[in-house]
Amino acid sequence: MEQIFDSLVQFWQFTGFANCTWQHLAMIAIGAIFITLGIVKEWEPMLLVPIGFGIIIGNIPMFPGMNIGVYEDGSVLNTLYQGVRQGWYPPLIFLGIGAMTDFSALISQPRLMLIGAAAQMGIFGAYLLALAFGFAPNEAGAIGIIGGADGPTAIFLSSKLAPDLMGAIAVCAYSYMALVPVIQKPIMLLLTTKKERLIEMPKPREVSQKEKIIFPIVGFLCTAFIVPSGLPLLGMLFFGNLLKESGVTRRLANTAGGPLIDVVTTLIGLTVGASTQADKFLTGNSLKIFALGLVSFVIATTCGVLFVKIWNLFLKPERKINPLIGNAGVSAVPDSARVSEVVGREANPNNHLLMHAMAPNVAGVIGSAVAAGILLGFLG
Amino acid sequence: MKKPVLFLTALFACLGLWGQNLSDLIISEAMPGSPVSVADDYGNHPDWIEIFNTSQGTVSFGGCFLTDDRTNLTKCQITKDDRSTRIGPRQVALLYAAGNSALGTYYLNFTLPSGGTVYLVSNDGRTIIDSLSIPAALPEGMSISKFAHDNKEMVFDDIHSAAPSPLSLNGRHEQKSRAQKMKETDPKGWSLSLVAVAVVFSALLILFLIYNLSGNIFTGRVRLKRKKRSKAAEGPEAAAIALALKSYTSGEDDIPAAIALALHLYCGSGVHDTEPGFITIKVNNSSAWADKSLNFRKQTHKI
Repeated sequence: MEQIFDSLVQFWQFTGFANCTWQHLAMIAIGAIFITLGIVKEWEPMLLVPIGFGIIIGNIPMFPGMNIGVYEDGSVLNTLYQGVRQGWYPPLIFLGIGAMTDFSALISQPRLMLIGAAAQMGIFGAYLLALAFGFAPNEAGAIGIIGGADGPTAIFLSSKLAPDLMGAIAVCAYSYMALVPVIQKPIMLLLTTKKERLIEMPKPREVSQKEKIIFPIVGFLCTAFIVPSGLPLLGMLFFGNLLKESGVTRRLANTAGGPLIDVVTTLIGLTVGASTQADKFLTGNSLKIFALGLVSFVIATTCGVLFVKIWNLFLKPERKINPLIGNAGVSAVPDSARVSEVVGREANPNNHLLMHAMAPNVAGVIGSAVAAGILLGFLG
Repeated sequence: MKKPVLFLTALFACLGLWGQNLSDLIISEAMPGSPVSVADDYGNHPDWIEIFNTSQGTVSFGGCFLTDDRTNLTKCQITKDDRSTRIGPRQVALLYAAGNSALGTYYLNFTLPSGGTVYLVSNDGRTIIDSLSIPAALPEGMSISKFAHDNKEMVFDDIHSAAPSPLSLNGRHEQKSRAQKMKETDPKGWSLSLVAVAVVFSALLILFLIYNLSGNIFTGRVRLKRKKRSKAAEGPEAAAIALALKSYTSGEDDIPAAIALALHLYCGSGVHDTEPGFITIKVNNSSAWADKSLNFRKQTHKI
């Protein structure tokens, strides 16, 4: 009888109930909120649902040493986590993004590329602030990249520069990407006048197939020669686009932009979520990272919109740019471009800005990858 | 005949590679046991020897020998096939010279010889990979260490006693990470930020210029000069054109049309415009046989 009782006690000690702390419950609640936002509000459901469920998985209280946790060598979750830890999921996602993205808007209006550069100021603004908050330069660089609004890039860079902060940085980046409509719209309305919001831009020209094929090759050579440290991201992005545009590798492009990116997105979301274990996530640093991440999004949006406004001062009336596409310089594709479209149509229902906004949007993807390469080169 | 040669070449190449890997190991530090020294799993403070992998690859020293006797190079063999005997790039392993190798993989059956030399011997039992002489008068609490004057080259040519640093790279030449250097040179981060912003703008500005130019070319706003085409037409076409122009200027109106028709037929699908005084020949170099658009690229549809 006593032996049965001892066995039951021993079993109880292995259950989640015996090992539960308030931190575990708090993280499970956060995971539930993510899932709710993803399903009910449909805010980035393909990211928030896997991350939310991953947070719950990672915070099931357990007896240590059972070789099942994400940080325990050799466990299943740990094996899946290696794609995040060693940074090979993000380039695969970039491959898929390249295979899905039509760069026509950018090729037809290359001047809008500069907006994508202006919006990267959010990265460096957050970097400066993070240093002022007392973070080490490598940590500050990893935190700053949140301002690029690019989840895979944030994971890639933080896995190289500050692995300890990666969970918080990834969750922060994806959370704010989901909240792009909420964050960007008030800033855009605040910084633009009614007259500016009514600016209609000329229809972009049609782009030939030859131009589309040349774009990824020339684009890759230019950016990779300038920032070789961004090679994994830039190489995969442009390679994916070449697969799409070449016209002869349709099956590869379909796989990269379909099943492959879906698989990797699922795994990256789940494992990033699982990496946010309460003891590593519920710290003062995480709160600082979330604050800095929000500031970096605000800076990026502000710089993008203001850059267009200033640029307009030097343009002829028929060549003026609607400053509502300035927010799209961050690389949250295509959410920030959609915000431009929605806000633009609120001012003038006949003014469609989506195609114009896609140009700085995809330029933002290139810009954030270049910025990540620079930070990795200086701080890695 | 060729196969054995190839096999032997491959074998020697493999052996060379293997040997080269083991040769990347050095005895980097040793220290006689003392109360301030490292404690082993048994709570004792035995003598210890540190082995350092100078290469950028993982090296296994399982099966190698350690000895304090030049005449007996196979005195103590490290356990073979033990994964824990793999040393990562620029990593170290610590062996205890406790005088009893039965205590574990990392235990040796001799103690450090004061005034003697410790040898690391390859797993062939003959090749000495590295050695370290232990001074007879080593100060209490000090170890004998090898230092690299250049951590990039990994040349350990400086040997002297020093404060013990088991399980870490010896020396004063601690390599600072880029982030640490950046913290010293640019604590506020302004320089990096300005440089990075400039680089991002430059990269996208270059792309803008290239695509602006290519866009102008593709839309026909800028035309590349075609030197070959600008040259006067040569050969039978030029002669025909000259003849046609001459006929036209001399008043024989029907001749240019006949010549143009002949040229049209000669050039396959060439056509001429109706501009008076000029005949434009547009040559289509492709033949229907080579034209993939007429055959290979055709989509087949199920009926």
